[in-house]
Amino acid sequence: MSDTVPLTTDNPGPVASATPPARGRSRWLSDRRLAVAFIAPALLLLLAMSVFPLLWALYLSFTDYSATRGGPAHFVWFENYTAILTSAQVHLRALTTLIYVVGAVVLQTVLGFTIAYLISRRTHGRGLLTTLFLVPMMLSPVVVGLFWRFMLDAQFGVINSILGSLGLGQVEWLTQQRTALISLIVVDTWQWTPFIMLIALAGLTAVPKYLYEAASIDRASEWFRFRTITLPLVWPLLLIAVLFRAIEAFRLFDLVYILTNGGPGVSTETLSFHVYKVAFLGFNTGTASAYGILMVLVVIVLTQLYLRYLNKLKED
Amino acid sequence: MAVSVDEAVSPGPVRDHPAPTRRRSGRGRSVLELALLVVLAAVMLFPALWMLETSIKENRDVYAIPAKFFDFTVTLDHFRDVFVAPDGGRSALSVSFLNSVVVAGVSTLLATVLGVPAAWAYSRFSVKAKKDQLFFILSTRFMPPVVVVIPIFLMYRQVGLIDSKLGLILIYAAFNVPFTIWMMKGFVDEVPAEYEDAAMLDGYTRLQAFRKFTLPLLVPGIAATAVFALIFSWNEFVFAIFLTSSDEVRTAPPAIAGLIGGTTVDWGLVAAASVVFALPVLVFAYLVRKHLVAGVTLGAVRR
Amino acid sequence: MQLATAALLLMATTVAACGDGQDNDAKASAPKAPATIPELTKDPLTLSFIWFEWPPAQALEAFANEEYKKVRPNATIKVNTVPNANWHDAMFTQFAAHKTDFDIAILDSQHIGEAVTNGNILDLTDFVKNNIDVAAYNPYLLAAYGQFPQAETGRRDENASLYGLPLLGDTWTMIYRKDLIGDKPPQTWDEMISAAEKCQADNPGVSGLSFHQANGSDAAAVTYNTVNGIYGGNLWDAKTRKIDGVMNDAAGQEAMDVLVNKMKPLTAKGSGNWFIDEVNASVAQGKACIAFNWIAASGGLLDPKESTLGKTREQILDKLGFATLPTQKTNLVPLGGMGMHVSAYSSAANQAEALNFMKWFEQPDIQKKWAAAGGVPSRTDALESPEFLNAGPFNKVYADSVPRMRDMWNVPEYARLVDIENTNVNAALNGAKKPKEALDDIAKEQQSVLDSGSRKGGGGL
Repeated sequence: MSDTVPLTTDNPGPVASATPPARGRSRWLSDRRLAVAFIAPALLLLLAMSVFPLLWALYLSFTDYSATRGGPAHFVWFENYTAILTSAQVHLRALTTLIYVVGAVVLQTVLGFTIAYLISRRTHGRGLLTTLFLVPMMLSPVVVGLFWRFMLDAQFGVINSILGSLGLGQVEWLTQQRTALISLIVVDTWQWTPFIMLIALAGLTAVPKYLYEAASIDRASEWFRFRTITLPLVWPLLLIAVLFRAIEAFRLFDLVYILTNGGPGVSTETLSFHVYKVAFLGFNTGTASAYGILMVLVVIVLTQLYLRYLNKLKED
Repeated sequence: MAVSVDEAVSPGPVRDHPAPTRRRSGRGRSVLELALLVVLAAVMLFPALWMLETSIKENRDVYAIPAKFFDFTVTLDHFRDVFVAPDGGRSALSVSFLNSVVVAGVSTLLATVLGVPAAWAYSRFSVKAKKDQLFFILSTRFMPPVVVVIPIFLMYRQVGLIDSKLGLILIYAAFNVPFTIWMMKGFVDEVPAEYEDAAMLDGYTRLQAFRKFTLPLLVPGIAATAVFALIFSWNEFVFAIFLTSSDEVRTAPPAIAGLIGGTTVDWGLVAAASVVFALPVLVFAYLVRKHLVAGVTLGAVRR
Repeated sequence: MQLATAALLLMATTVAACGDGQDNDAKASAPKAPATIPELTKDPLTLSFIWFEWPPAQALEAFANEEYKKVRPNATIKVNTVPNANWHDAMFTQFAAHKTDFDIAILDSQHIGEAVTNGNILDLTDFVKNNIDVAAYNPYLLAAYGQFPQAETGRRDENASLYGLPLLGDTWTMIYRKDLIGDKPPQTWDEMISAAEKCQADNPGVSGLSFHQANGSDAAAVTYNTVNGIYGGNLWDAKTRKIDGVMNDAAGQEAMDVLVNKMKPLTAKGSGNWFIDEVNASVAQGKACIAFNWIAASGGLLDPKESTLGKTREQILDKLGFATLPTQKTNLVPLGGMGMHVSAYSSAANQAEALNFMKWFEQPDIQKKWAAAGGVPSRTDALESPEFLNAGPFNKVYADSVPRMRDMWNVPEYARLVDIENTNVNAALNGAKKPKEALDDIAKEQQSVLDSGSRKGGGGL
């Protein structure tokens, strides 16, 4: 926005081109109407494509409807919900998702912040470094998933090849219960560490210099300065990034679909992946809708947290 | 939390110089930090470089054990295969790239046309429960796609939008409108409302004032916002795989995913297709690098 | 306020529209195809198929455009392909949408039940009576690719309705390295395992076995079912709809034990997510002594460009042998392949063209040409023809395997059943579950799917 047009407010161009209208017309199209006219189309699209489908899913979640078997939907009220909440299968997926979300978010936060911290201490080449680090984040999950699947292949994958030449054994990255979930976390971390880094960097570069200078006069230790100056200032922003990532990680589907297809067994099936199976393998639309609504509730709670912090950050 | 967000995230005074106290162990530490940074950068970039390398290797080198890092024959065959079918015609993959261009382009246009005026209105007027409306708008963007796709699927089959580009365009636009509004509201906020007030004193209507004075100033912001919307639509996979099936409609992500799972896997082709697919995104991302923080947080955090 | 009203209005109309749709669904059942082919259009017409991405799909499109055009110059054949993992979903989401971009669905044999129950494909019984010479087929193949309720093995039920006709026959072949284990293929499953064991010990870097273990599609499930059949087990008792107690009986347990404790240790490290392509790659790279794969997916093994085993097809064939599966307690082999089924939602003109295509396709000389073009025919005369037997080294394997075939359960709940089996067998193969525990879980969960008709809510979890 550097090329701001110098506005000479009292000279809005030749009269011929603009034909300044009478003031009456502006009253006709009052601000209120204008606001409605400008906002309504966008809101209508959201109502039609987001709110309405969700309400429909809510209705279906109380029925035994199936998208392929057809027939009228019978109300089963809360039976879908109680079945889901008491299902051991669902608990298993919830646990997997929890491990995945916590593991991935913690790892990428630590790593992302470290990189941001190191970059912020550099004098030269910051722009270049930042740009290079951002590459993974811009790739499609499909590309990321496929390519890591190739690299993690136990037989001819480059990761095992490197481990081999370092004299370490081969690892079955995608076919062992533990390593498969770890692989998923690693790949997600690889893709999204730049996200945390980017936001942390925004916070770090904004820490006022004089605060450090004051601290250095006091001969405060490096760690002390980091803990008392840097972290508290960056923390609010970092929290937003973490919450944002948590929501995204909670919704994860595509990476699982491509990298492990939920395997081995069902050990990397996340909640999203399970919803997909219920919805499109058995076409148990009613159950899947209830399952989805429960997921949406979790997302709403997380989003509320996110928005609250965002709000706080804005108002502080 | 003594610092306001404007200070905390604005490109304020940047601490360019290392603190003066670092004298004694300063140099050694700096080298160590640089080394660490280089190692981390290498790790982060390696997969992308490996992808690039695989895309120009012959297939027998692709599967070589141990992996070949330098001594391999360079070939551009895989890139040819991305665009040209074995019989010389246009490959299915290249058709899907074209579909992606159409779907991502039109949905971005739609989101921009709907989102920019709304953002302006939210910025300029006192709308009832404005904050609630804005938060509601943002929260629709967080819905899990796998969940949304179920009712969308039912809805689309009623109106015949299954397996159509229009269907994908509409859902992508719906996901991009919240983003566009939040992102653009920030840009509109930066343009002083006084410009419009002054113009209105000169006899322009509010609408004319918006079109003639504010809109031109918003163009860079609109461009940045549109690029992020474009990247989202371009990369999207979940809706694409569940709502489309035919070659004529399928976008690139499901088409690339379809390269594995046949009777043979051509990783060279997968790599080449991925490179071709990722390149425009990287170029676009570079163009909007100034707005990245706002872009990746859906406009919520502004730098 | 206006906004809210508009939104409500929008919602109300859509809800009303949906309500109608759901009511219509209630009357769904498989519509009947006409007994005789209606008059065909003279306008240009595209007849579309849907299949998954593999070489037979391209072979079919090329073959049909070449040959069918001779009798119907205005018709063009298009074979749409989707990723294998997405195959069932792609067809059935379109069926669910009551709008298909294909006229002929190439269903896996086990999908028939789901499609028939939902009324997605045409009932071809009368059409077949008037147009197809059923006596020309091995009776089981007609049953496998068209009949519902279906027979898993044995003979066709003459009174059952037919919903499809064979397109491509298939079964597993054993692929073995003649240069490593000798020219003569192992005859029993035990012999096969010890040959693989010895081969692996003698040849460092080459694993004894290579077979499907993935948790997607029907990969791991078919592997277990094959071993289960060979060791005398049963997947279920079709009459009483009983799985629990049948599948996990002593024979079933033995089969699982053989698979996990004897066969799995002979496979390559990290092969726990392998399917068709990875098994092919392991053979082509010379990394497997004995492999099992679908015949229709094996053509690429003879392509010198893809193989490290030789510079010409002949050199490769010096090293690779193809044989019918070894036997143990029974000689059963898995049924693969697919039939053609007419979408209930395509236009009348396209349905007529589809029926005409099917009648044309099942003629003896066309079946022989299909065999020569790389397809696997189903008519007995075509199967025994030199055109077929000479087209590939594995074709004799198929012809010999036909009387030995067994399919899975063919019920509308197939997709769920196979997913349960896939994930559990895959878990057992990769050490995520104990073999016995996995088998008992399969039996228990599958049984609850079959019995879930009476339960309200929570179906499909």
